[in-house]
Amino acid sequence: MTVHEYPARRRRVWWLRNRRYLAFQLREAGGVVCALYGLILLNMLIQLRDGESAYAAFLNLLRTPPMLYLNVVLFALVLWHALTWFMLIGKAQPIQFTREPLPWKVVFGINVLLWIGVSGAVVYLIFGGM
Amino acid sequence: MERTAFDLVIVGGGAAGLRAAIAAAELDPDLTIALVSKVYPMRSHTVSAEGGTAAVLRDYDSFDLHAQDTIKGSDFLADQDAVEYFVAHCPQEIIRLEHWGCPWSRDEDGRVSQRAFGGMSVKRTVYAADKVGFHILHTLFQTSMKYEQIHRFDESFVTSLILDGGACTGVVAMNLRTGTMAAIQGKATILATGGCGRVYEFTTNGFIKTGDGMALAYRAGVPLKDMEMVQFHPTCLPGTGILITEAARGEGGVLVNKEGERYMQRYLPGKMELGPRDILSRAMIQEIKAGRAFEGPYGPYLGLDLRHLGEKRINERIPMVRELAEKYMGLDPVHELIPVRPGQHYIMGGVSTGLKGETALPGLYAVGETACVSINGANRLGSNSLSECLVFGAACGLAAAEFAKKRPSYPRGATAREALRKEEARVFDGLLGRERGKETVAGIRVEMQQLMERDVGIFREESALADACGMLAKLRDRFAAVGLADKDRVFNTELTAVLELDFMLDVAATIAHSARDRHESRGAHSRTDFPQRDDANFLKHTLAFRTDGAPRIDYLPVKITKWQPAERKY
Amino acid sequence: MADSEVVFRVSRYRPESGGRPTFQEYRIPYRSDMVVLDGLNYIKDHLDPTLTFRWSCRMGICGSCGADVNGRPRLTCGTYIRDMRKGAVTVEPLSNFPILKDLVVDFDDFLDKLASVRPYIVRKDWGDLSKEYTQYPEDVDAYRQQSLCINCMLCYAACPVFGASPEFVGPAASALALRYIRDTRDDGAAERLARLNTKTGIWECTFVGECSVVCPKEVDPAAAIQTLKFLATTRHMRRLLMPGSASR
Repeated sequence: MTVHEYPARRRRVWWLRNRRYLAFQLREAGGVVCALYGLILLNMLIQLRDGESAYAAFLNLLRTPPMLYLNVVLFALVLWHALTWFMLIGKAQPIQFTREPLPWKVVFGINVLLWIGVSGAVVYLIFGGM
Repeated sequence: MERTAFDLVIVGGGAAGLRAAIAAAELDPDLTIALVSKVYPMRSHTVSAEGGTAAVLRDYDSFDLHAQDTIKGSDFLADQDAVEYFVAHCPQEIIRLEHWGCPWSRDEDGRVSQRAFGGMSVKRTVYAADKVGFHILHTLFQTSMKYEQIHRFDESFVTSLILDGGACTGVVAMNLRTGTMAAIQGKATILATGGCGRVYEFTTNGFIKTGDGMALAYRAGVPLKDMEMVQFHPTCLPGTGILITEAARGEGGVLVNKEGERYMQRYLPGKMELGPRDILSRAMIQEIKAGRAFEGPYGPYLGLDLRHLGEKRINERIPMVRELAEKYMGLDPVHELIPVRPGQHYIMGGVSTGLKGETALPGLYAVGETACVSINGANRLGSNSLSECLVFGAACGLAAAEFAKKRPSYPRGATAREALRKEEARVFDGLLGRERGKETVAGIRVEMQQLMERDVGIFREESALADACGMLAKLRDRFAAVGLADKDRVFNTELTAVLELDFMLDVAATIAHSARDRHESRGAHSRTDFPQRDDANFLKHTLAFRTDGAPRIDYLPVKITKWQPAERKY
Repeated sequence: MADSEVVFRVSRYRPESGGRPTFQEYRIPYRSDMVVLDGLNYIKDHLDPTLTFRWSCRMGICGSCGADVNGRPRLTCGTYIRDMRKGAVTVEPLSNFPILKDLVVDFDDFLDKLASVRPYIVRKDWGDLSKEYTQYPEDVDAYRQQSLCINCMLCYAACPVFGASPEFVGPAASALALRYIRDTRDDGAAERLARLNTKTGIWECTFVGECSVVCPKEVDPAAAIQTLKFLATTRHMRRLLMPGSASR
């Protein structure tokens, strides 16, 4: 007798099944967004090489409302990407210095503090001399 | 084509079956072994054992002491040669398991830890927190994966044994997955299907514990021994019957009644909560009858108090007790009493076997709770049963393998084909073909369970037992009218429930008849009309043989080596 | 003690009739201390004996009774109806597995994966077989967490990577591999990591982390896989930089 197994239910939109899955997909999407930022920066360098007017036109383009909105969305996703990764580092890097591994919240805190520190240093380097 | 003839066929994938399979595989890599289980082996009920497994491992202990505790616990019904063999082989089994990776709890010096247990006079019980059965089962199952010669037939339900010329030559099994039957032939066959707790209504046993192996042997003409000896565990959660391990008391937990009194001081001041299970369960019933129990939605209960142990000790030693109490009772034992009442837990009786698991039928072996060697007699001590599965699992695996090696050729195919055809006709054309009528499998099962609970429970007497015997015969008649709604062959759990009920009705009858004919109180068998132990007439094993009507009861002497029966005083 | 009723929506699939899984509704008497498995058993015993599901211990240790309850993989014996959102209780077979019948799924494939990571002690020298190996409490603590896996398959049902590529070795088998690697009695790390360091091994894991959320025994397979990635990488680097270094 042949047995008809019903093939596994693999949902194509599995990431809508719960909030944790959605959060994961947004983090993954955040990775793509990071690359987008890189491309924008690269384009900025190309415009800079092409001369002052091209650069100014590009900056003007960045100032238009659609681009601003887009940037807000992109920035939010990058922030999400960074923060959720910081949350995961404590679990993804299970190097144990002590008998009990550090709780992920502690690792998260350390990373956020480091991040704020580095960002502050960058801001100071760029704008500090002004 | 899947292989259908093996040197060894093992029915049951719990501790005993797996241990037998590994022992045979280690003995000779050329042996082919079929491991047939109605569930995946890691689902076997060994998984639910909690407290520990006994062995003499330290200088303060000795084989004689372990044997003496076991024999006294058994109320002198254990066969003393079997007990001596058992205690001498426990340590090596603990060490085998240790070498296979079992996560035994350890002392600070790196040695395997041991804890106190009921009826054991010293700390003798080895443990892995309080998930001992779980860890033993998974260790054995995973270790069995090393051996390619062990062929697993997972989710295959054995419906009968194949008999050929007065010997057992394998089994007929229904593959639940494909809904087909197959003959699995073996030069030797081992039954290791565990207990039969589900014949009772309130039991710690899982749904799968339906006495299959006992009924299979019984139907093949092998007697069941000491079936009246049913163990009731004192600490089960009301409603669900979930077991709270004896280790909770071993670690210092106490039992209290509603007046807050440690009532065991009135029953067993020498041992208190660490007395054997039969005595504790009876004390509970007496407290309930005296009106000193708490009242709950599932009837009267007593309190298990762990609060004085503190959170740290509870989490370290008995984490599962806390997990179970929190999950299934919604209370935290760190701060609250755990409600407990006695429930069916184990059966000391089973397929009558010799020291190596051999039965009266050549080629057929039985081991574990299915079997009765007997080391447990009239009352098993906690933590002796896992050890029994290991010690006798290994012995039985080796004996059956040696038996198989001496038989040059596989059993005749014609007999197997004939047996297969008969079972297909009985199960598929017969049982599956029955139309649904007034009787349902659930209905008869519940009636049987309530009857056993009421009439063949902790306290017994003649008229109730006679009534039970009569009622069981009537249920057997009514069973013939049970029909099925599910007509599919694939994974038909209604059909397996019918087959299991069929087995359970046989097993229940042997329990009731054996109990009715034992006119004394011994161990777990407590007759209100015969309250004394009667060594003159009943220092003997009960044997129940199958007939066309009621079981025929016979007796077998108890083997006594060096411990003369004495009053069982703690 | 029945205070009221509760509606169960249960997925049905009959292999011998074919077709697609469909939902069937049952109304059952409700008690506040009822778990989903009690409801299924009520249906089996009183309403519809054809309903098919696995169960045994009803105390959360045998691992038989997993199902998707209201969309989330759970052990039905430990899931209280009172904790469900108001309305129907929807019970479906575990996602990501082929369905055999009603709530019964086929996970044979897991057992092959488990066998492939050698879930047993591997030793070069077994030493004196009559003596126990020394292991300190902290040595046991090192692998205790992973050793608690009951093979209930909830983690596989929760894993979208396994859903997309069924060959993925998956959470439970990986956690059990780590359980043996971390055992001081074991010498099999190299073979296990070699198996896991493959296309269908640990690198498939994108760290969704849902396996650890649904695990009823807090095994945390997601973290186990990350540890394995770390071990596999350091091992690889060590071999690259120091060929012929020790295997452990």
